[in-house]
Amino acid sequence: MDEELYMRRAVRLMSEQELAQLRRAFAEVMALNDDRGYQFFAALHGLPPPFYCEHGNPLFLPWHRAYLYMLEQALQDRVPGVTVPWWDWSSPGSRGEGIPAAYAQPEVDGAPNPLFAADVGLPPDMIALVRSRLPGAISDDDPPRTVRDPDPPGDLPDAAAVQALLEAPTFEDFSLRMEDVHNFLHVWVGGSMAQVPTAAFDPIFWAHHAMVDRIWYLWQMRHPGQTPSAQLMGQVLAPFQMTVADTLNINDLGYDYALQVVA
Amino acid sequence: MARKSDMSPGRKPGVLQAPLAYRAPAGEEAALARADLVFTGVRHAEDSFQTRVFLNNPDADDTTPATPEAGYAGSFTVFGHGGCFGDVGHCDIPRGPRRRHDRRPPHPLTPVTKTVVVTDALRRVLAQSPDGLTSVSLVPIAKAPRRADCGLTDRLLRFDAMELRTYA
Repeated sequence: MDEELYMRRAVRLMSEQELAQLRRAFAEVMALNDDRGYQFFAALHGLPPPFYCEHGNPLFLPWHRAYLYMLEQALQDRVPGVTVPWWDWSSPGSRGEGIPAAYAQPEVDGAPNPLFAADVGLPPDMIALVRSRLPGAISDDDPPRTVRDPDPPGDLPDAAAVQALLEAPTFEDFSLRMEDVHNFLHVWVGGSMAQVPTAAFDPIFWAHHAMVDRIWYLWQMRHPGQTPSAQLMGQVLAPFQMTVADTLNINDLGYDYALQVVA
Repeated sequence: MARKSDMSPGRKPGVLQAPLAYRAPAGEEAALARADLVFTGVRHAEDSFQTRVFLNNPDADDTTPATPEAGYAGSFTVFGHGGCFGDVGHCDIPRGPRRRHDRRPPHPLTPVTKTVVVTDALRRVLAQSPDGLTSVSLVPIAKAPRRADCGLTDRLLRFDAMELRTYA
């Protein structure tokens, strides 16, 4: 086994020790104010402009895979071996509790939980614009924090919806359908996650996208001959120095998906 | 194909009725393997919203349950950009032909295509109604950051056209 291959895990099945490592990695990255820090990565997706994120086209999945990879590398720079967990919003447990407990607790052991909320470090004029145009997308604090206002847990997509996605016959068809379910999850969480400009500031953004990435991985295993078009393969995923082709094999990116790992 | 400009308002502001009629070719009802409602030119520059699709239920609105009995066929969700955060013109999508050497990617707000798989709902309609599919109702629901601000909207659903694609 590749010793440099790290396993992304289901957040609901992570041990207390694993969660502590994850919180430490997020907290340390959040404390950095340069291009290794959380604000830098969050802003690539939305505010302030430019919005680099790709939506509504076949770059959606590759771009977000590269995006998660970049944040994960930054987390691993702080805490070796840590990975972005996935939030299986289709599991019976999620459809009972909604936001996973690891992301729903404001504090853990008396300290702020970095998975619960993050600062939204934007210039004052942009904060004012967000507050007037997207009420409820950020808190009234100074600096503002991310917020959530989720719909009922029973509204979350179920396992059958994920199975239906996996049956999509082509990459383009899968991408279109996957993105729509992804969109639904964003608005289900509400608050910062509900709109593109503020979504990636919420720490749960990354767990949601790890789930999307995992479903793409599962789809890839079911449809090994189905790849993005040749025209798409060489396309660069700005601002990352990666092409679509670079994203297709997750093992080349140093990770895999495991339900649990028992030593 | 139904252009948005051809659609009529529903019972409540925001709901649209599409003049889309369909009957399966005689004897081929059982051969319907898949049916998609495809929306082209969907705008996503403003706030997020969901559009619920109902077949043969011209009274559908935001209070209609999303059930097969009510003709519910599915939905699509737009993850919105929340308006323009740049200077004047920043979010204007260039029109007309591009310069030959302009290799920049398309404008991020270029309208998108959304597809709703309606196979099961259409099969039900074809089995139950001698006239086949007679109407498609679109119910747009704003998905604001605050749940209290969510609800039927008449300002977010913007698209060019809708068509039904069936596959045997």
